[in-house]
Amino acid sequence: MANIDTIITGIRLANPLMLASGILDENGYTMKKILEAGASAVVTKSIGRVERTGYRPPIIAEIPGGLLNAVGLANPGIDNFDHEVEIALQAGKPIIGSIFGGTPDDFLYVGKKMEQYGASALELNLSCPHVLGVGSEVGSDPELVEEIIGELKKKIKIPLWAKLSPNVTDILKIAEAAQKADAFVLINTVRGMAIDIYARRPVLSNAYGGLSGRAIKNVGIRYVYQIRKETGKPIIGVGGIETHEDAIEYIMAGATALEIGTGVYSRGKGIFSEINKGLSSFMESEGFSSINDMVGVAVQ
Amino acid sequence: MIHSIIERVDMETPTTVSILFPWDQDVLPGQFVMLWIPGVGEIPISLSHTGRIKGITVKKFGPTSTAITELKAGDRIFFRGPYGNTFRKTEGKTLIVGGGSGMAGLLPLITQESHGVVSARTKEELLFADRFSQEKLTIVTDDGSMGTKGFAVEGLKTLDLDEFSLMYICGPELMLKSILDYIADKEIDADFSLERHMKCGIGVCDSCSMDGLQLCTQGPVFPKSALLKSDEFGKERISISGKRVRL
Ligand SMILES: Cc1cc2nc3c(=O)[nH]c(=O)nc-3n(C[C@H](O)[C@H](O)[C@H](O)COP(=O)(O)O)c2cc1C
Ligand code: FES
Repeated sequence: MANIDTIITGIRLANPLMLASGILDENGYTMKKILEAGASAVVTKSIGRVERTGYRPPIIAEIPGGLLNAVGLANPGIDNFDHEVEIALQAGKPIIGSIFGGTPDDFLYVGKKMEQYGASALELNLSCPHVLGVGSEVGSDPELVEEIIGELKKKIKIPLWAKLSPNVTDILKIAEAAQKADAFVLINTVRGMAIDIYARRPVLSNAYGGLSGRAIKNVGIRYVYQIRKETGKPIIGVGGIETHEDAIEYIMAGATALEIGTGVYSRGKGIFSEINKGLSSFMESEGFSSINDMVGVAVQ
Repeated sequence: MIHSIIERVDMETPTTVSILFPWDQDVLPGQFVMLWIPGVGEIPISLSHTGRIKGITVKKFGPTSTAITELKAGDRIFFRGPYGNTFRKTEGKTLIVGGGSGMAGLLPLITQESHGVVSARTKEELLFADRFSQEKLTIVTDDGSMGTKGFAVEGLKTLDLDEFSLMYICGPELMLKSILDYIADKEIDADFSLERHMKCGIGVCDSCSMDGLQLCTQGPVFPKSALLKSDEFGKERISISGKRVRL
């Protein structure tokens, strides 16, 4: 058997596949179930400082090649999230706390609490494209990104993963602003929208949404490759991973670990163990003895 | 989104209507659709009519359900689905227990043989009681305006449950919980159809989850055996923001 474990920012993962933020990770029991189904870690739903109900439904649309969503950062607020992390931790695997905010102070408040709750790392959602004042607004402002990460780096001990948005003109500029982060997570959803032609209006209540799934895989591959090549930093690849071939493509583009979101919807919770099986047999037949041997091999 | 033109609207109670529309799709009892009122909202609704003509039965409650009850024949409706699982089948006699608009999802299961326990807050709100024959009907109202006074479980206490091979139950979760507690040590088996918040209907948002299972894709129907082992059933759920709340 090929060895499929991997280490990202010092965190040992039994396999490269984690659950991505925002998909089945609001209730601790669900996170625990996903870990039992073979995910090596889960990234929580993005949590902010205060409770938010998010947009009213429709918040999601099934489209060819994936999903379009505008959930609106619904979250219970960090002070109400301790119990969910506690339940998820019962699975004995790493929990990564995804956090968002509008200011360095917000990030610090939420990040500190996540650290106390037992998160192994923080994933900074700098890229959520659909709430004014946070998300992309934050992630497309290099100075603010630098300030947030600088502040967190001083006061948080666990690793910081900066999740970047593909919805910027120059992603490299943002990556440079975020260079104090321990790793980059690429990519968040791509801006999109859908119109119902019989209702003659946008399907999502927020009109604009974020595209995920197969439709964005090749956008993700491109950014992972570019950022790996330009920065050499550890990368967590996410966007449209549904098969072991997709996973390997991301690893060869430079990802050390991966996250799956929409694939859980299209393939079910069994997707983690299925991909791991395929990954292991590919590595055996192609003569790779570890994930690390494959990371970035395609980068020229 | 799927769309259809409403063929008929039936008033079932002063606050509840059935909306019938053509939809060329196989659907099973227990399944639901996410019904969209453009500009207002989208909510999960069980299919109350699963034959050639499909139907939903909706009680006026929030903004979206209220807008649904105001639809008329000829109006267009938008929805996606069908979603969810179905009930187990049985050869023997069935006992059908519905609380309030919970009777809607049970309507397709009613046969000549089935006995009904129909419960509601008041006699005006009793739904589909007329679909059972007189001698196979137990009525329960919270206010005692008709039948036994109290909650649905009080109706069960008047029956010999050994007569039935399977119970089908739908209604508010606390009603289901009181029934589960009552039958926990009894012989009778049961399928419970649950109602929780649903924001996506496709197993993504986690708003409907219980014990790590998604009501929208792995439910909404669960057997007695699963609920007896549950950590969250009848106790806690996640609110629309994601906050854990007591039921
Ligand atoms: C319904 C939904 C909700 C999401 N919510 C979040 C979120 O709260 N925070 C975040 O960083 N990313 C969020 N994402 C983005 C995913 O984590 C991921 O980056 C993106 O969906 C691409 O991966 P995928 O194609 O495997 O889904 C969400 C995606 C979906 C589909
Ligand atoms: S309604 Fe979203 S997971 Fe069930």
